[in-house]
Amino acid sequence: MQSNIQRIEVTPRVGGGLRDVRGDTIKSQLKTDHNLEITEVRSILGYQINQELSDHQLTKVVDELFTDPVIEIGCFNLSILDNKDAFSETPEAVITVGFKPGVTDNRASAALDGFTTIFPDLDKDVKISTSISYVFFGLGDVDLNWLSDQLHNSLIETALIADSNDCAIADWPEIQFPELKDIEYTPPSSIDLNVSDEELIEISEKGLLALNLEEMKAIQQNYLDKNVQARRKELGLPHDKPTDVELECLAQSWSEHCKHKIFAAKITHIDRETGENSEIDSLFKTYIMQPALDMQQEVNWLLSLFHDNSGVIEWTPEWSLCMKAETHNSPSALDPFGGAMTGIVGVNRDILGTGLGARPIANTDVFCFGPPDYDGHLPEGLFHPSRVMRGVHAGVRAGGNESGIPTVNGAIIFDERYIGKPLVYCGTVGILPRHLPDGRESHIKTPEPGNLIYMVGGRVGSDGIHGATFSSLELTDESPSSAVQIGDPITQKKMVDMLLEARDLGYIEVITDNGAGGLSSSIGEMAELTGGANLDLSKVPLKQLGLSPWEILVSESQERMTVGVDEKNKQAFEELAKLHEVEATIVGEFTNSGTFLVNYGNDVVADLPIEYLHDGCPQLNLESEWSPPIHRPIIFNEETPPKEMGNILQRLIARPNIASKEWWVRSYDHEVIGQSVIKPFGGVNHDAPGDAAVIAPIPGDTKGTVISCGIVPRYSDIDAYAMAAASVDEAVRNAVCVGVDLSRIAGLDNFCWPDPVQSKKTPDGRFKLAQLVRANRALEDVCRAYSLPCISGKDSMKNDATLDGEKISVPPTLLFSLMGNHQDVTKAISSDFKNTGDAIYLIGETKQELGASELAYMFQEESEGASGIGGKVPSIDTKRNLSAYKALTKAMHAGLVESAHDCSDGGLSIAIAESCFGIDAGAKIDVSSLLASDDMLDSWGVLFGESLGRILVSVNPANTEEFEKMMDEIFHEKIGIVGKNDELIIMNNESEILTASITELREAWKGTLDGGA
Amino acid sequence: MSVKVAILTGFGINCDRETAAVFEMAGAKSERIHVNKLVNGEIDLQDYHIMAVPGGFSFGDHLGSGRLMGNRLRFGLREQVRKFVNDKKPIIGICNGFQVLVKMGLLPGDDDISFEQTASLTLNDSGHYEDRWVTLEFEKDSHCIWTKGLTRMRVPVRHGEGKFVTNNKKLLDKWNENGQLVVRYVDPNQQYPSKSDELLPYPISPNSSWRNIAGVCDPTGLVFGLMPHPEANHSTWLGATWTRENLFHGQGEGMVIFHNAVNYAKSQFSIND
Repeated sequence: MQSNIQRIEVTPRVGGGLRDVRGDTIKSQLKTDHNLEITEVRSILGYQINQELSDHQLTKVVDELFTDPVIEIGCFNLSILDNKDAFSETPEAVITVGFKPGVTDNRASAALDGFTTIFPDLDKDVKISTSISYVFFGLGDVDLNWLSDQLHNSLIETALIADSNDCAIADWPEIQFPELKDIEYTPPSSIDLNVSDEELIEISEKGLLALNLEEMKAIQQNYLDKNVQARRKELGLPHDKPTDVELECLAQSWSEHCKHKIFAAKITHIDRETGENSEIDSLFKTYIMQPALDMQQEVNWLLSLFHDNSGVIEWTPEWSLCMKAETHNSPSALDPFGGAMTGIVGVNRDILGTGLGARPIANTDVFCFGPPDYDGHLPEGLFHPSRVMRGVHAGVRAGGNESGIPTVNGAIIFDERYIGKPLVYCGTVGILPRHLPDGRESHIKTPEPGNLIYMVGGRVGSDGIHGATFSSLELTDESPSSAVQIGDPITQKKMVDMLLEARDLGYIEVITDNGAGGLSSSIGEMAELTGGANLDLSKVPLKQLGLSPWEILVSESQERMTVGVDEKNKQAFEELAKLHEVEATIVGEFTNSGTFLVNYGNDVVADLPIEYLHDGCPQLNLESEWSPPIHRPIIFNEETPPKEMGNILQRLIARPNIASKEWWVRSYDHEVIGQSVIKPFGGVNHDAPGDAAVIAPIPGDTKGTVISCGIVPRYSDIDAYAMAAASVDEAVRNAVCVGVDLSRIAGLDNFCWPDPVQSKKTPDGRFKLAQLVRANRALEDVCRAYSLPCISGKDSMKNDATLDGEKISVPPTLLFSLMGNHQDVTKAISSDFKNTGDAIYLIGETKQELGASELAYMFQEESEGASGIGGKVPSIDTKRNLSAYKALTKAMHAGLVESAHDCSDGGLSIAIAESCFGIDAGAKIDVSSLLASDDMLDSWGVLFGESLGRILVSVNPANTEEFEKMMDEIFHEKIGIVGKNDELIIMNNESEILTASITELREAWKGTLDGGA
Repeated sequence: MSVKVAILTGFGINCDRETAAVFEMAGAKSERIHVNKLVNGEIDLQDYHIMAVPGGFSFGDHLGSGRLMGNRLRFGLREQVRKFVNDKKPIIGICNGFQVLVKMGLLPGDDDISFEQTASLTLNDSGHYEDRWVTLEFEKDSHCIWTKGLTRMRVPVRHGEGKFVTNNKKLLDKWNENGQLVVRYVDPNQQYPSKSDELLPYPISPNSSWRNIAGVCDPTGLVFGLMPHPEANHSTWLGATWTRENLFHGQGEGMVIFHNAVNYAKSQFSIND
């Protein structure tokens, strides 16, 4: 046993109505995920305290802190496995898991806080670590090393195993205290760039800088400039070469992650189909920013676009709203739990860092995973998709729930190509008062030279070094573990509470998040506003001593904000921080010197002209080339009887992409803040899926906002233009279903692409870039047509994994998120059918559009590739769709619509089934009028085609006449009535084409993704 | 003068804003107060008529839900809280706030207000955190000042640790006789009254709480805690199935609890505003 380490163990009491639920959950998950039958799993929570404590003191902390006397048994400096009251039988195996040194241990931080409550006067250097042990009975023949791998992530955790022999002699695993050793300080050095091109590339690659040759040469050039050299001599810096601090700072600021170089590139675009050969000067400026700026000219509610951490729109005369979505793909691949958790708490900070500070009020989560039942080859170094899903979900759940921010909307998409890198999109909506009590408009930052720069919140450690540059590289076997972090929602929550109070008191002049690139980005970016900043890295509070200056500058340690405060508010700001038990430290000041001057104590370690830092990165020149891919057609069975059509529907509805996500969604708090009007699930049994969230953020007020999303990566297989158009249309359609005010909608574009830069590693780069060009063009076309400005967005361009010599690239994916006004939430519409006998209408035209449909992929899998996905992919007619949306919105406001549900994945038949779930009854449908509307259309197309612009609605029979009058100009067909019994019947005139039982469909729909336990 | 409500905030309390709002909607004046301001004496709890410990994840619930916040209050506010109750002032704990009051021993409590923990809220038998709507039924004859006149109510639960248990089953009978087992989960399809000691199946009881207990009060009926969130149903448009109902829109089902306390305080302390 290590000296001065006190060990405490706690286990739940079992029996008499008490259970070890933690153990039971592990047991049930091993059963669900691996079909493993274990008699019993028990759990033990372990704590280690590195402090001399008397038995009296130990008894006190065990009784008053670590153990709940009613439900737990605890002990100190003994193994609780030897306590016969707790464990009457000898287990077959014990696996103990603890954190590696330096990994965020939230339970330990909480324990330390609780320890200080009980012993406020004890040594401040107390450290606590935690572990968890799983105790197995009736294990059977299981490889313990394999089992241990399922229970821990070796990147961040250590596991020890006691097998049956060890257990027989009571030789229990004993985790060592994960002492974080101080690092030996490395003083700043300089890097000679007067070297060959090969060596420049080597410097970039070895240092994980992710800079290309041209960029390295641009840096090389800068240090040859005579004026630069003169100034550097004056400051005592090496005159002709960068310091490591400077080179790292430039690498962060110029990273793909921060600079979006591909979206800013000059692209020569060739289209083999049309013969187009043109040049595009920045996708972002051309297709995203310009349309939004043009729309900003037309309206007065677009308050802030593109330059802040999120876009801001006016919501009411008193309040504005902002929204941002980010991805956290690479970290989530390495550690699903920590990666996803830092994703959600990270985007919350983008909201807190908007204007003078906004309050997060809603989260959205969209995930793309490999299939949860994947049984194909898995390259070494990858987790099984089901484990990635559980981990990501748990991380986002913890991050969102603990922060008190409801998760109101999202989606989960499955495709085998997400096995290499999952996509983890986390979005947040924030609210901010239009004006602060001191009169300032809160969406405008007001820094002045002389303002003090505070770092607020967490401390800086070696965790999270190189996150930004790492995410700009593909995932490989050598991906650094330092890029993995675990969020700490409570530290962040305290900081959010404190900073919002500081905002309202008028203490904040400027605020931004420390995310990618750490202080180098946050201060570097804000320095642009005043024209300079001084930073002293020796002032920055550290988690571990010995970090070198460059590491402090670029570390992405979580839960930190950078805040500019006027000297006159210094004392009040610090007192507020103290009250909230939040660390706030002055690390520098804003200047107008024109440079970002970085010191470490008395030594100057970096001097970077602001202009050079932000605009010095050379523009990329890229090539793209489009020719449409060729796919095999879908093979349909000519004669499919109605019952078999029903079976097809049942198989389709059970596919992970369509199946109910209720088990996963319900473990997010979607109602905290007390504003949830349209919830993720509705209907008589609370299990019918909603289309979009409606929230009413001001208690008692019926003014609302709508949050929705659209994502259809499948369509990229045929055409990324169709994919992007469908994504935007889906988001809008979802919002229309709940009654959004179409005159005030705003969007976010989040692109996740495979590397689209032609190279030896990416021989199809030109094609992937052409897909990106096409997706951007669709984005512009549809957004302009719908008057839907993108107010913020993000791109992640290296979603490839090369492992085991195998490259897996994600399908080109655009997530489009939407936020829009709702004038009166008491008029919001939900997706569930309301009354037997209500008339069912389909709004919008149905075409024979089954290319890349969910049905096509199902047939492809079922036929082992004989059937293809080829065919017409849904195309967009924005003018037609928009008039339909507007007419329907009007009918909703007139109170004529009982329910509205989006037709998307799986087509009309799926939409009908889902609306039926909401009333727990079937429907009688006749699609003959639809079939008659288009010669090309057959039963497959009408039932399962995914044509855009369609919404399924139900109307009370008393209102059908008026409803039809209002929809006169719009394509609409009355296709059936809501039934009474369990039967769904779809007819073509007199003949049945599909029959199914709603109960059976629901069981299939709910069965696939039931998380168990 | 108005009824003044102290709404605790800080350290991961999340539902402070909506809890403040519902008391305002019930005609009181709410103040969100950081726990440390009460502990360090900057604000005197006795200046308020009602105290609320809102829901959230205080300290991340890492050592058991509500435990660390319970300790902060037990060590830092012991005498203030005791005096508050002795002055006949109501206290409510919702969700995490309920867990805090149970872990600090104030609920179900005893006549001496000894802060001895006799019950606990442990992990749901389902094994996971869950947000879903439930139907509650209230004890008819309870002296709890918060639940007067209530029969049933639809509200969401949002917790992972809501299973009410004790290590002394005799206490359960005693609390029952005292009318302290104020609120239970019931099957909405059963006719009122239908509360029962028989364990209801998941998800009617979302957590397999003993005797389907959703909330309890102390012997005085002044201190009340419950796992579900009445403050989340403050307006009719927040209900789980409101789009299926013919409603006259206004305050929601959950508001009665807060009106009860505010009315009690008005009459007890002769406040007319």
